[in-house]
Amino acid sequence: MTLFESVFAGNDAVYGLTEGAINQAIEQYGADKAVSFPNTAYSLPCYYAVTGVKINTLAELKEALGVVKSLMTREKRTHDVFMSGVATALCAEFIEVLKYMDGAVPYAEPCYGHLADAVIRELGVPLVTGDIPGVAVILGAAPSPEEAAALVKSYQAQGILITLVGDIIDQLAEIGYKTGANVRVIPLGKDVTSVIHVVSVALRAALIFGNVKPGDAATLMEYTMKRVPAFVNAFAPLNDVIVACGAGAIALGFPVITNQEDVARVPKSLICQTDISKWNATSLEARDIKIKITNIDIPVAFASAFEGEIIRRKDMQVEFDGSRVDCAELVHTCEASEVEDHKITVIGPEADEMALGSKNSIAYVVKVAGKNMQPDFEPVIERKFHNYINCIEGVYHTGQRDMQRIRISIDAFNAGFRIKHIGEVLYAQVKNEFDAVVDKCEVIIYTDPAECTRIRHEVAIPIFNQRDDRLANLTDESVDVYYTCILCQAFSPSHVCIVTPERLGLCGAVSWLDAKATNELDPAGPCQIVTKTRPIDEELGSYEDVDEAVKKYSQGALEHVTLYSIMQDPMTSCGCFECICGIEPFSNGVVIANREYAGMTPLGMTFPEMASMTGGGVQTPGFMGHGKHFIASKKFMKAEGGIERIVWMPKELKEFVADRLNASAKELYGIENFTDMIGDETVAQDPETLVEFLTEKGHPALMMDPMM
Amino acid sequence: MSEFKLTTVEEFEAGTNRLLETGEKVGADAWQYRVKKQTPHCKFGEQGVCCRICSMGPCRITPKAPRGICGCDAHGIVGRNYLKFTAGGAATHSDHGREICHTLYCTSPDGNYKVKDPEKLIRIAKEWGVETEGKDIYDLAHEVAYMGLSEYGKVFGYQNFLKRAPKHTQEIWEREEIAPRAIDREVSCSLHMTHMGCSSKPEALIRQALRAGLSDGWGGSMAGTEFSDVLFGTPKPIETEANLGVMVAENVNIVVHGHDPSLSEMICEYADSKEMIDYAKSMGAQGITVSGVCCTSNEVAMRRGIPMAGNFLQQENVVLTGACEAIVVDVQCIFPALGPLSKCFHTKFVTTSPIAQMPESDYIRFSPENAGENAKAIVKLAIENFKNRRPELVHIPQMKQKATVGYSVEAIVKVLDGVTNSQVDETGTTKPLLECITSGVIRGAVAMVGCNNPKVRPDTAHIELMKKLIANDIIVIASGCSAQAAAKAGLMDKAAKSLCGDGLKRVCELADIPPVLHMGSCVDISRMMVLAATLAKDSGLNISQLPVVGCAPEWMSEKAVSIGNYVVATGIDTFLGVAPYVTGSTQVVDLLTNGIRDWVEAAYTVETDIEKLVDKMIERIEEKRTALGI
Repeated sequence: MTLFESVFAGNDAVYGLTEGAINQAIEQYGADKAVSFPNTAYSLPCYYAVTGVKINTLAELKEALGVVKSLMTREKRTHDVFMSGVATALCAEFIEVLKYMDGAVPYAEPCYGHLADAVIRELGVPLVTGDIPGVAVILGAAPSPEEAAALVKSYQAQGILITLVGDIIDQLAEIGYKTGANVRVIPLGKDVTSVIHVVSVALRAALIFGNVKPGDAATLMEYTMKRVPAFVNAFAPLNDVIVACGAGAIALGFPVITNQEDVARVPKSLICQTDISKWNATSLEARDIKIKITNIDIPVAFASAFEGEIIRRKDMQVEFDGSRVDCAELVHTCEASEVEDHKITVIGPEADEMALGSKNSIAYVVKVAGKNMQPDFEPVIERKFHNYINCIEGVYHTGQRDMQRIRISIDAFNAGFRIKHIGEVLYAQVKNEFDAVVDKCEVIIYTDPAECTRIRHEVAIPIFNQRDDRLANLTDESVDVYYTCILCQAFSPSHVCIVTPERLGLCGAVSWLDAKATNELDPAGPCQIVTKTRPIDEELGSYEDVDEAVKKYSQGALEHVTLYSIMQDPMTSCGCFECICGIEPFSNGVVIANREYAGMTPLGMTFPEMASMTGGGVQTPGFMGHGKHFIASKKFMKAEGGIERIVWMPKELKEFVADRLNASAKELYGIENFTDMIGDETVAQDPETLVEFLTEKGHPALMMDPMM
Repeated sequence: MSEFKLTTVEEFEAGTNRLLETGEKVGADAWQYRVKKQTPHCKFGEQGVCCRICSMGPCRITPKAPRGICGCDAHGIVGRNYLKFTAGGAATHSDHGREICHTLYCTSPDGNYKVKDPEKLIRIAKEWGVETEGKDIYDLAHEVAYMGLSEYGKVFGYQNFLKRAPKHTQEIWEREEIAPRAIDREVSCSLHMTHMGCSSKPEALIRQALRAGLSDGWGGSMAGTEFSDVLFGTPKPIETEANLGVMVAENVNIVVHGHDPSLSEMICEYADSKEMIDYAKSMGAQGITVSGVCCTSNEVAMRRGIPMAGNFLQQENVVLTGACEAIVVDVQCIFPALGPLSKCFHTKFVTTSPIAQMPESDYIRFSPENAGENAKAIVKLAIENFKNRRPELVHIPQMKQKATVGYSVEAIVKVLDGVTNSQVDETGTTKPLLECITSGVIRGAVAMVGCNNPKVRPDTAHIELMKKLIANDIIVIASGCSAQAAAKAGLMDKAAKSLCGDGLKRVCELADIPPVLHMGSCVDISRMMVLAATLAKDSGLNISQLPVVGCAPEWMSEKAVSIGNYVVATGIDTFLGVAPYVTGSTQVVDLLTNGIRDWVEAAYTVETDIEKLVDKMIERIEEKRTALGI
């Protein structure tokens, strides 16, 4: 049988199963029964992305199957094979969605099944920064559980996101290999059809970040091929159904690597590699994925895959806790003569001199020197420490400044990890990532409690205070330039962020100082200087300079952007925003939802549904993506009256921003405890109840002019 | 990508019509008018049944007069005419190759010509059993050139390059007694056989036609290609542009035309010098633009990215722009019409070769020894002619397309290396292409070659065939005027992948190539033979089993028939859009379209309906796939 015949046969088989499943579901529930995946604004995302049609009922699902059939042409051409692959994927999606009928929860630990829109939005930033350099889809059973684990581990060590389908899930469970989204190993499901859940992620990424029009299959496939760095590893034996799924993957631009020897080979697309220990290298080369090599001389692994790892108390050797004892982390700019490069000093006891399970002090000062170093970059570098230390296998870090908390696991300790290795990691990463400004770097780690107290109170806190003063004075008016950020253009080709002191990037990851440092580090990079010498309307935050920059860096897709309005030419989003605000017409206000919030908002939309209104570099007046910290900014929708317009936020978000938001409200309008006036899900999930609540609280938005 | 749009033949014709209006103003003649005067053509000539080889005739075969005075029937006459036609082509290509060998023989470190690709020279030397160790590269060049020249008159044995063919092919050639001996001998032998009172048996005549063809493709043409690479560099992918819009009204325009790169290389060299550019500026021009017509153009486009002004039937157009200061020609396919035409404008028509001397031209005889100074003199002549332009006659149709050209076999292998996976694959082979073909992603390949011919609406057949082939996931390799038709239309722009089927489109994306690959001039069809041989060796199949066919939809010259013969004799089915002068003999027709398949595993298909022609090629490719079970 030729490759093409195999694809056609597999496609026919899956189509038959799908038809049967749909008919059976209609018999059981009736044709009008609603059908959908949970936590997505895109109905059946794959079908929606390919055809532009949202499916709501079983009757519509059956109708859609007719459309799928029309893709299943049988000319001996690659087009027919690609379309049959796509048809197979769509059939898989239909079979999978039927598992979710009637609110069923078809997948149990460790499997995830369908992934929510919010997961994709979270993946946006790490994917564009290369923090997640690729996505592996591993399918079938490895020759042995050990080989399965070795393969998964090899990708994990590179930060690659791994999704698993089929028997490999049991193989890993059998030997107790840890899986889960936090370690970037996501078992999808044991049926081959569950592979659709990762395809669904790729296609939603195109809709969310790429502004691909649903139904524009050609652009969709171009997007996934060019911008989604996924690949498939399929263990032998391959049956026709898997080959048909593989055709779908290749159609989307994802190469398939297999150890099935008699498979027809296609360069860069269908590759036979019988040596599984080489699958990693073969796959990366096939998908042109380059791994930034970080060789740090420590006894455990260092990779972004370990960033989400959690160390529980019972697994912990020692911990350091800034909330209980004196701790600090600090970058300190020195003269070159004061810094001895790569010197790591530990002052105080090492980890092996600390009691098992003990709580200790720690303070590390990273002394840097460089011709282009500026004190403004210190916090930028410091903020990366969280990420650096977290990427160490078996080490966990939260918090910042003098409130950090670190745990070292028993496993890591037993592998030989010591406190001095934290210094190695900080040294290596600072030199790696900030080589344009840091010429020399030295790390001093204090564990002696008295020294920690001294460093915290006499050195660090005064510096933090100085910085806070500087930051407080840093306003949009007080600086001469803003910056672009087009880091996300790998995914969202027509989006441009304009970053100002009072408006950080919508992903929450790029402040004005970050942008400034990025520009300094890489003058031709994603952050370019935008002057502000030609204002059009300062109230709106519109400038000729800004418009020019936006037009240039969006390749003409955008002409005008205002900095302070959500109604007139609002700033666009890539899709990985932390929050989205949308106007709530009954109260003249806006509702804000954060990515983590899974419930309903008074707009009658969930976060994913609101989020689907914008993203991909599109301007949708009345909706705007933004960072959490922007909420308390005095520039937040200033053109429409500012933060006074905020009428509703999820409780968790409200609490997160309360202090700063209340302070801003006090300063701007003299309102005390403004957040008490703002509704949340415990108060209202519909506009009527919300308005009642606002009226009762005397919320200022009710008295303001309508926004529309 | 959305901006990409092919230029249509209608647009080509509108441009030409506008130029013919200029021509009318100055009383210029053009092929379009001469075709009308020559139509209908002589039926006896067309059928190949007119015999003029002795002075008893001419004899013409009709139902009432089925034999000539000597008693030769239509089959003998047609066969003889066909062999003579082939011999003309083989002689032409091969003599071009000989000139190149001679130029190589004249190389020196400080001379007009140097060795630009010593690696290739060493490779060929080793292939020919020449000791290379410790030898000065110029000594080696002279030794290999001498051997190359000897191939034309070697006393015993067969062509050296035959060993490049797969063993199976070599065995066929030996078995069928068509392995070519000395190149000149095959041409002489052909003319001997067609002399009055020699062969009149179609089988013998056609067999010799194949042999003469092979002496061209695996002899003279291959020498021309290989030693041109040694002299001027082996082509690699390079950006250029095509169609009349490449001429620049503000510049001195020099158009090179013909086939031998020795002249044009020198012209390009001098036209690019600061001295000449400054001189042009002093004469009121902004610079110098060299562009090309026909295969000389292909040669300099492949190696230097020199833009292509047009192909065979566009040669008069370049003069009709009124902006051509000089059209400089070497050999082959040059219209004698250019002489009188150039006199209607300020254009200098410069002939340079003793082989191609024409009335009403400035004859500046070119040789390796005087190449430098003569090239300089020609460039100067053009510059000094700039002031004689008649501005009211200047009109350059603003049509041009981007093209990536320069896909020699070496370059193709390099491109293919780019899609290998170092964890699994070896490099330096054609295996990635074979994998694409075996898996069905690409259905096969078509070698598109040949000229323009007013019998076919110019360029239409080339372009329409290619469009349909690439839409069916069949990759096209083109040379000669066919390649230029593709480039003018835009089919050599990488953006043309959007016109491909999904399979070929993906291959173009991954390998970063256009769907129609420019493989060079008409002598470079020898490159296609090397590619076919490599594919066969890398796959373990016979050439005739590969889903690959050749096609010359608008051919016109004797060279084209010689090419067709060696392509078929190499085992590649060949499809023609213009019938050769053989229709007067059922036996010859049957041999060419059928009988020779028993000898060489391939034959001709003639189909003048272009739509049917392409369908037949696709059908043949699919038949070959089915036979292989892929």
